[in-house]
Amino acid sequence: MTEHRHNLTPDVVRRLTVDPHPWLSCDDCFGLIDQYVELLLDEGPGAAQRMPAMRAHLAGCAACREEAQTLLALAASDRGLDPDEAESALAASASELGKN
Amino acid sequence: MTAISRSAGSHPVPVIETDDWVARLSTPGPGRDAALRELHALLLRAARHQVSRMTALVSALGAERIDEIVNQSADEAMVALLGKLSTFEGRSRFTTWAYKFAVLHAAVEVRRHAWVGREIALEQSVEPCSSGPTPEDYSEAAALSAAITTAIDTVLTMHQRQIVIAVLIDDVPIDILAERLGSSRNALYKTLHDARDALRAQLIATGHLSSAQSTGWPR
Repeated sequence: MTEHRHNLTPDVVRRLTVDPHPWLSCDDCFGLIDQYVELLLDEGPGAAQRMPAMRAHLAGCAACREEAQTLLALAASDRGLDPDEAESALAASASELGKN
Repeated sequence: MTAISRSAGSHPVPVIETDDWVARLSTPGPGRDAALRELHALLLRAARHQVSRMTALVSALGAERIDEIVNQSADEAMVALLGKLSTFEGRSRFTTWAYKFAVLHAAVEVRRHAWVGREIALEQSVEPCSSGPTPEDYSEAAALSAAITTAIDTVLTMHQRQIVIAVLIDDVPIDILAERLGSSRNALYKTLHDARDALRAQLIATGHLSSAQSTGWPR
């Protein structure tokens, strides 16, 4: 064990205390992520409530969220939509659950 | 519902029907060869996009190595995708479904390169920094930090503490830690899930978090 000291910043506190429910594994997140980003692109961030397990997983898993952001940007670009605005939609969809 | 704006001067990619992609990729012949080339180009684009978003992690690698990562990721994604082609149900555009394979492989590969040679210390307790919040939010923030530190020490198992500290506090990527521990991303995420449940239950019991709150400070 090292002498490393930890900084419990607001972001770290959010990561530690974000509500992880409903349960969804990383593999299941991968299986659904294409549908989820298209739902957000087609219907806006409010539609995330229709896939609550995806929303909770992306709020709690930094790796899956990083990959979801890229997929969203690519799918938005294919539709001629603004990728930055699309990513804001993803962030907004998770805002109630906090960021990891 | 909030509509997402169309990019200025954008040209949406024409939609090739899903059935067409699957049929072309499944039917031997020149049509399949062409479809494979088109698919590989899509995967390259997705892999390059993912790598380009991780500049902080790839800045030390040369352009040649970055190009290798992009190509390797696209190749691996191609194999993975073709192995799953029969499972595609058309619930999204085929291109969106395809991109995710390249995005996953590229992200994992970049993180792997970034963590080569870096030691990961599995710590068993949280030692808060001496520099705390400002006087204005000292009371609430300090109380919550102290409660979280106590909860980590008292309600989590040693394994949960190690994973929580590494992934959620020290920012070790979950797939890298899984690889080092001979575990899986799924298994470590389940550990985080159970640990968050335990932490939240303790913080609710001590009055530091309400059951309706999705996260702690700031409220």
